[in-house]
Formats: sequence, structure tokens, C-alpha cells
Amino acid sequence: MKPGIAISIEHVTKRFPLSALGSSSLKHLVLDTFRRRKAKTFQALTDVCLEVKQGESLGIIGRNGAGKSTLLSVIAGTIVPTEGRVEASGKISSLLELGAGFHPDLTGRENVFLYGAIMGIPRAEMRRRFDDIVDFAGIGEFIDQPVRFYSSGMYVRLGFSVAVQIDPDILLVDEVLAVGDVDFQRRCLKRMNEFRKSGKTLILISHDLGAIQSISDRIAILDHGTITNVGGPVDMVDAYHGTLLAAATGGAASTTEWGSREALITGVAMLDAAGAPTKRLPDDRIIRIEVTFTSTRRIENPVFGFGIANAERGVVFGSNTQLERYDIPAIDERGGRVRFEIDASALQAGNYQMSFSLHSADHQTNYHRLDNALSFYIDRPARGFDGIAALPVKVETHIFQK
Amino acid sequence: MNGVWQFLAARRELVASLVGRNLKIRYKGSALGFFWSLLTPLCFIAIYAVFARLLKFAGDVPNYLQYLVSGIVAWQFTSGCLNDSLHSISGNSNLVKKVFFPRVILPLSTALANMVNYLLTFLVLLLYLVASGNAHFAAIWLLVPAFAIHFALCLGLCCLCGTSNVFFRDTEHIVGVVSQAWFFTTPVMYPVAFQLGLLPERLAWLAYLNPMTGILALYRRAILGMPIEPVDGPWLAGIAVSCAVSCAILTAGMRVLKAGDARFGDVL
Repeated sequence: MKPGIAISIEHVTKRFPLSALGSSSLKHLVLDTFRRRKAKTFQALTDVCLEVKQGESLGIIGRNGAGKSTLLSVIAGTIVPTEGRVEASGKISSLLELGAGFHPDLTGRENVFLYGAIMGIPRAEMRRRFDDIVDFAGIGEFIDQPVRFYSSGMYVRLGFSVAVQIDPDILLVDEVLAVGDVDFQRRCLKRMNEFRKSGKTLILISHDLGAIQSISDRIAILDHGTITNVGGPVDMVDAYHGTLLAAATGGAASTTEWGSREALITGVAMLDAAGAPTKRLPDDRIIRIEVTFTSTRRIENPVFGFGIANAERGVVFGSNTQLERYDIPAIDERGGRVRFEIDASALQAGNYQMSFSLHSADHQTNYHRLDNALSFYIDRPARGFDGIAALPVKVETHIFQK
Repeated sequence: MNGVWQFLAARRELVASLVGRNLKIRYKGSALGFFWSLLTPLCFIAIYAVFARLLKFAGDVPNYLQYLVSGIVAWQFTSGCLNDSLHSISGNSNLVKKVFFPRVILPLSTALANMVNYLLTFLVLLLYLVASGNAHFAAIWLLVPAFAIHFALCLGLCCLCGTSNVFFRDTEHIVGVVSQAWFFTTPVMYPVAFQLGLLPERLAWLAYLNPMTGILALYRRAILGMPIEPVDGPWLAGIAVSCAVSCAILTAGMRVLKAGDARFGDVL
């Protein structure tokens, strides 16, 4: 392996025998041999090539079932590739599933030492690190209880704590950020950043695009078992958003709709300053939305609304034509369109989803509602601040004279 | 092969931890805990003491009760390994799927945990023999090859059953039936002479194709002072056959485990 390379993945293809995924039995083996039937396979990875440099942190993004976890398992060595090979230099600790390998009947303490032994850490060394592990996990005296009495949060915290404290050269992280409370997630991110700064190699999978973008040096996009794109985090998250958005406007599963359907929102699109459809937030940070609609009958005083939400922080802002004191006398079968212009320059960096609604003036009837119909992201805020929205601030000082 | 042992030496703490875990889990939550490994054989001795009087061929074997109990104790090591090994790999799927380490450690730790248990039981057996005045320890050094061959056999079986059960869940049922048949074809309850009587003297070694026959003969020679059958025939050839079969099973087990290793992650 070339110097300076932590992991090299060469032309890795992985096929899983499909019959083995279900119940495997002697009967199937005998019958399949007898019928000379070739076992069906599922190809999870196709000719994946990737090199990860020492000290680099690589993010892998992609939709569910794209092969992300299989790729991580191949790197960890728990799944052997059908073709190609993987080389890694250094001790690998994998957070493929937090607390994997914990035995429910053993105490936290026993499990910590067992995990250390599995990772090849001498017992004396584990004893030295033990207090740090318990501290980080924050589970106190529960450490001497069997882990089956743990809450799922405690289980996960101990799992993360032990995996990072064994001081690996390469850390593989699969969707750790999806579990645990906000405080724990923040500590995980902090720990991973420390890990990164100490020159270790990090590979992580996450659906939290904001987090993965902030922590990765490079991001690879995986789609149907193939790496479709590798590059800088901002560009990759952007590109990935493009594909997600394309899928969303094409009626993706993540969008949910409901309502009486007396009137219908037939399309939502984001426009740039020139009025052309766009998939990313324009540089002037004005969200221009065009909502097209039809109706089955004449409806007096309908209200069009929208909401902007952030996965971690909930609804950030929502409004509608009624709140904006914009009166729409009536809509009917002929349909039409409504345009909103929202200044988003006050928003913090992150991923946002937009939902849209069409309802009656008295809010009694929801004609049509589209949840998460559109998403956009802000890679860095227009100015630095804490929290989710930059409110206008005026500062004045006066220095007292003695 | 050398590489394997070096690897294991480097991982001895993991092996020790897993053996400890297996033993801890076995007695977790029971009030007497580890004492069960000592108490169980004592109970067996008591039960068989009653049962031995009912058996017809009891008269053919001197010290039949000691003969029977020593056989049962040794057999329990083999059958314990057979049963525990079935889930030694499939029962640790979360470990196998998520963390890489040499897989041979799983069947090895199962065999070792059973071995620890067996040694304790064996200690009780020795104490019983001394107490009942039937101990004949002149050739006690034979315990060393006996334990070695027996452990090799059990480790081989653990690898075979553990691997097989990952791919074919039928293994569990087959092992149940086969181990019952194996028990009755092994001279645990009856004298070896019963089997040898069916064979011409030149072919006496055929009886030792069952490795447990040779292993039991070694144990009984070591602690009961019983001669190894056929007494005036080629008895050493018999032991050699049992030893060779045990080693063959160990080699086969290692091979099968190695072949299966690449696919554990896919199937579990």
C-alpha cells in the first residue's frame, strides 16, 4: 500500500446470495443442487474504488439501501468482498452499531473489558482508560448492572464511549448521530472532531447532511452500490441535494400529502432571481416559491400557507397569505399560481424542508397539504451568530466616567 | 499452523475474556453459581450408584460404578461441547457482523469453557475415587495425552458444529440424534470387550475408530488402573487410531471454519 494511505479499496464488488438471506437449510441446499438452479444474488456494491488518506475524514452519503453500511462492513473486515480487495493500515474501531457485542447478561464493566479484549487492548490498558469511558458515557453506578437493565440511551452511550476510548487509528461510524439525545449528539460530534484533529482517519455515514458536511474533508456519494461522485463536502452535499430534490418533485416517498382534495396543490418549485426553476437556494438568499394549484369547485377566501422546518430544531418559521394580510378572493376550476418571496438571510446554516398547505379561511378545512415537498440548505449563514435565526440587533455603548 | 498459534498467543486475553464470559453466563443468576460444576457430578454419582445395580453387565466389570461414572463424566465434556458449540458462532452474530477478529476464537472459547468445567468435575471424580478406595494412579501421567486428545477432538467438533449451524439450521437436530447414537456406540455404560467380542483380534483397532473409545480407555487406565483392551493384543494401535481420528476431526473442523469464515457476515 502507498505511504500515507489509511484505507485502499480496489474494485470491490459484493454480491449476497439471496437464498442465504432467508432461512437457510439443508433442504434448500439439496434441492438447489438437485435442480441445478443457480442461487439468486443481490449485488450490494459494484466496482467500488476509493482511497482514504491518513488523517482524512471521509463522509459517505446516499439513500437507504445504496450500500453504505455494506461498504463500511467491508472496510471493517466483517464482510468479505466477492471481488476486489480492501487494505487498511492500523487498528480499526467500528461503530457499525453502538454496543454491538455487548452481552445482555454481563455488567457494563464486564462488557467494556470484553470489548477491549475483542479490539486487542491489553487488560491493564483498559483498566487505565476505564474511568474515562464511564465518565464519557455518564452512566455512573449503573456500570455494575447487567446491560439488559440499561435504557437504550445508556446502552448507546456506553457503546460510543468504549469505541472511541480504545484509541483506534481508523474509526468507522455508521449513523451514530441518529441516536441519543441532542446533548449526546453534540458530545459525539465534539469527540469526533477531536479525533479528527489528532490526525486519525475517520469514515462516517450519516443522513444528517449538515453534520456530515461539517466534519468531512471529502464526501463520496453512493447510489445503487456505485460511487457516483467524490469531492469537497459543500459540492457533494449540494449535488446530493439536487438528486434528492429531483426525486422529491418527481413524487418521492419522503413527501407526504393529505387533505380533503377539494383544491389541489399541483406543484411547488423554487425559482432563482431570473424566475427560472432552481434546485438550490439562490445566492441572494431569497426563497422564491411558485405554488400551482387547481380546484374542483369555487372556493372563497382560500389561504395558502408554508412552513420551513429543520430536522433538529423543528419548525423555524411559518406563515400564510392570511397572516401576511394578502387577500385571495376566490379560486375555481381554472386553477392558478401563487408566488412567495421569503428572505432567508437570517437563517443559520443547515438543512431545511418546506411544507405547503391550502386551507379554508376559518382553518376548518384542509384542502391539500404537502409535507416536506421541497428542501434546501444553507452551507454557512450570512453572518456568524448563535442559534437558528439572526434577529436584527442594535448595540450602543456608554463608558461611565468615574 | 505456526502462524495460527502466534495469532492466538497475541489474542490470549480475548480468549480468556470469552471463556470467562461463557462460564459467567452459564451460572448467572443461579444461587449456587459455580458450585454447580462440583455439585452436578456428585449428584450423578449418587444417581448412577442406584442405577448401576440394575444393569445386567454390571457383574462383568470390576468396580462397575467407578467405570460408569468416569465414562459419564468424560462423555459429558464431549456432549457439552457439541451442544454449546451449535450457537458459538450464530449466537454471537452481533459480534461477528460488527467486529472483525479471528473467528476460531469463538469455538475455541466454547471448548475451553467446557474444558474448565470438565477439569473441575474431574477433580470431584478423583476425590470420589480416593474416598471410595478405588483410585489406581500408577499410570496417572496418561491423563496428559488423554486430556490433549480429548480436547483436540472437542475443539474440532466445536468448529464443525458451530460453522455448520450458521449455514444449516438443521445441524442442531442432526447433532441431537447423532450424539445420542454416538453415546450408545461408545463404551460408556458397557465394557469395551462387548464390541471387541464382535471383531477378530487383528481388526480390534476398528473399535477405536470411534475416538471416544480410545480416550475413555486412556482415562480408565490412568485413574482406575484398568488395562487397555485388547489386553494381550495390539492395544497401542487402538489408541493410535483414536488419536489419529481426533486429529483428523480437528483438522477438518479448522478447514471448514476457514472456508465458512468468508461467508459468516453474509448469512448471519
